[in-house]
Amino acid sequence: MATYLLRRLLLMIPTLLGITLVVFVVMAASPGGISAQSLVEGQNLDPEAKKEIEAYYNKLYGLNDPPYMQYLRWLNNASPIGFVFDEENQIAGFSFTKGSDLGRSFRYGRPVLDLLGERVPITILLNVLSIPLVYILALLVGVRAATERGRSFDVSSGVIMLALWSVPTMLAGVLMIGFFANDQYWHWFPTAGLSDRQALDMPFMPHWANLGDIGLLFLSIAVFLSLYLYLARLSDLRLRAGLFALTGLGLGLAMVDGLSEQSQGLMLWILLPAVFALCSGWFATTEYDLMRVLGFALAGLVVGVLVAIYVMQGVWLRGYLVDRIWHLVLPVLCLSYGGFAGLAKLTRTSVLENLMADYARTARAKGLSDHVVLWRHVFRNSLLPLITVAASLLPSLLAGSVIVESIFSIEGMGKLAVEAVQTRDRELVLSITLIGGVLTLIGYLIADILYAIADPRVSYD
Amino acid sequence: MTEAVSRNRQSYWRRILGDTLVRWGARLGLVWVALLALVAVFAPFLASSIPLLVSQQGEISSPVLNYLTPLDVVLLCLFFTLLILWFLPMGLGKKLLILLGIGLLCGLAAMKWIEPPRLIIYEQYRVAESAGAYDWVLKAPIPWSPTDYLRDFGDTGLERPLDDEQRAHWFGTEQNGADVLSRMIHASRIALGIGFVATGIAMLLGVIIGGLMGYFSGVVDMIGMRLVEIFEAVPTLFLLLTFVAFFGRSLYIMMVIIGITSWPGYARYVRAEFLRLRKQDFVQAAVASGLPLGSILFRHMLPNGMGPVLVAASFGVASAILAEATLSFLGLGLVGDPSWGEMLNQAVQSSSFNWWMAAFPGGAIFMTVFAYNLIGEALRDAIDPYLGRAS
Repeated sequence: MATYLLRRLLLMIPTLLGITLVVFVVMAASPGGISAQSLVEGQNLDPEAKKEIEAYYNKLYGLNDPPYMQYLRWLNNASPIGFVFDEENQIAGFSFTKGSDLGRSFRYGRPVLDLLGERVPITILLNVLSIPLVYILALLVGVRAATERGRSFDVSSGVIMLALWSVPTMLAGVLMIGFFANDQYWHWFPTAGLSDRQALDMPFMPHWANLGDIGLLFLSIAVFLSLYLYLARLSDLRLRAGLFALTGLGLGLAMVDGLSEQSQGLMLWILLPAVFALCSGWFATTEYDLMRVLGFALAGLVVGVLVAIYVMQGVWLRGYLVDRIWHLVLPVLCLSYGGFAGLAKLTRTSVLENLMADYARTARAKGLSDHVVLWRHVFRNSLLPLITVAASLLPSLLAGSVIVESIFSIEGMGKLAVEAVQTRDRELVLSITLIGGVLTLIGYLIADILYAIADPRVSYD
Repeated sequence: MTEAVSRNRQSYWRRILGDTLVRWGARLGLVWVALLALVAVFAPFLASSIPLLVSQQGEISSPVLNYLTPLDVVLLCLFFTLLILWFLPMGLGKKLLILLGIGLLCGLAAMKWIEPPRLIIYEQYRVAESAGAYDWVLKAPIPWSPTDYLRDFGDTGLERPLDDEQRAHWFGTEQNGADVLSRMIHASRIALGIGFVATGIAMLLGVIIGGLMGYFSGVVDMIGMRLVEIFEAVPTLFLLLTFVAFFGRSLYIMMVIIGITSWPGYARYVRAEFLRLRKQDFVQAAVASGLPLGSILFRHMLPNGMGPVLVAASFGVASAILAEATLSFLGLGLVGDPSWGEMLNQAVQSSSFNWWMAAFPGGAIFMTVFAYNLIGEALRDAIDPYLGRAS
């Protein structure tokens, strides 16, 4: 295992070299390229000052050198071991401890490492929140679809997942921000950023002016949660569906009521509640207990919180934590639905493959219940391909965060990447390529290691 | 029994095609794509401010023909050639060759002779019409050009769908007053073109590299797989962003880049298939009879290993369309020509949220991607019925 790891780590080096070289060549070979002139361009200066600044940039970033020298210098600076230079730019010696220096950004004039240190954690936060969500939901849907093969749940979930998978992230993001974070429609969520400015001064947990309100909140949530959990367990299908459809109707009416006067219309008053009622009624008729309970619990939570907010009198301070969650809801949703749909389809295939395998048939033949066969024998084996997919999920989530961060104006790595290429910021572009490549490769590596741990048949020696 | 026998007599491809087409998903997807192709070919006749036919003092003329660009003409030529070839009894290879030849000829001829006027004054026909210069006018179904900002009306700007009775804009207008539906119709060309060309390039590269890898295995395979791994680790979207930002915004560059960065998937599939096929008798027989490498690889092995590639290609078209839309959405798309992604971007840029500017172009992207995914899914189920929905 150790030699394998070492080999993989060493193989990462040529890959990273290749990626950064490609990006550098693209930048250097482009018309205009990267030059001091292009950096000074557009600034309204007299010619002498312009020349001075150009000379300064040339000296600072070595833009006068031939491109291959520029690349080699960048490489030397970025790699943790390499040559060190003295004052006159002569090689002074070879060092193993010089550490890596990604240079200074052209545009921000700050060390790239600092910039990335600010931005990368935000992107990682988004992804770390999305991945568990994606996996849990995908397993819920995928396993059920496989066991119900060919029946209504399988067919309908298959179509819905494929449709969800095809919805472009841009569309989802734009519609979400347009309808749910806009004064014209429902301004439920913030439009931009990850926290309000005031929230930085708030305490971590939410605070209420009077204690009664907290009690009220908890009481309301508890009452409605238990009510809906009880509803979810009702065996009378019609009663269940009817009551849940009523909830949908109420929520829909409340939504239209929340609109401003000029956007309300008769059509909307009829259509939105009707659609809500139909969807929730249909959802309540599903025979998949776990999903139904989860859905009902969510509805109970929403209704409970809404009622509490409506009844509560006192002033309250939402605190840092709630503010952050409030800001994260839409971006995380937007980032995760595509991965969820793709993964659910994959889970279905994987579970189905194992359900039809010989060992599953043997287990059934020896008299084990379907439940035990599924969860004890088949499920664990079906997880193996999902581990491999986790590796490729990471790059796609990183790419997704480029879009999500641009839509929701989150200052993460994705937005930085777009800004960097738009402003032709050489150091930043190269560094982001490097970091993106490293993250992707580490993702692949972790997936391989997990694979070996999860499946004893796999060995890399 | 007889049915089973006759089924076996059908060729592999005919069977796959038949199995795919019985699925309603594939049918719906194909219908949408075909509709889109029709719209793309006839875009200048479907949405244009320039009248299709006018009668001026008893003399009938067609102004729209004067404004056709070389691209319009080539597309029309190709379409009609395809239509004629469809009914001619001929081999597929021959048909393709003829199509390619006619396409090239038309392209050259159109480049040489067709020169649409540089300056298009959309108002002149409306002005002439209201002045009563024409006896009668036949307008396009959507009488607005994508870049016609309706300046002669003076009060143009954002408009909701079907807000104005006189000037019916089915999908509303954008901030500058151009018709959204007309822009969408003309943008369908970009979506279709980028999907086909980018996937074609990727498939070509993937099949050649993967085929060589699978056929020779050993060292070639080792080197090839490293190459595949390197290309898979390249953050595609980011590379695309860099390319487009540094090298002007050209549709062709976008097609090539998307093609070059997405071949590893196809190479993997072809490699796996060829590794499976290379020791089979018919391949050995082909080798023993001394056929050249190209013939062994592409004539004998490829048709037997093409199934998974086609499935991947169908999904690949969808992701190429998405990639272009993403680039345009991030503001790095084409300048001048509207594209669906760019229209979505416009919806975000305006100060207020206008749902029709986002929902219709975004919906078009969604429908197209969904159509290709449906086709891909149906193809996969047809090729590998083991895990399909019907048991």
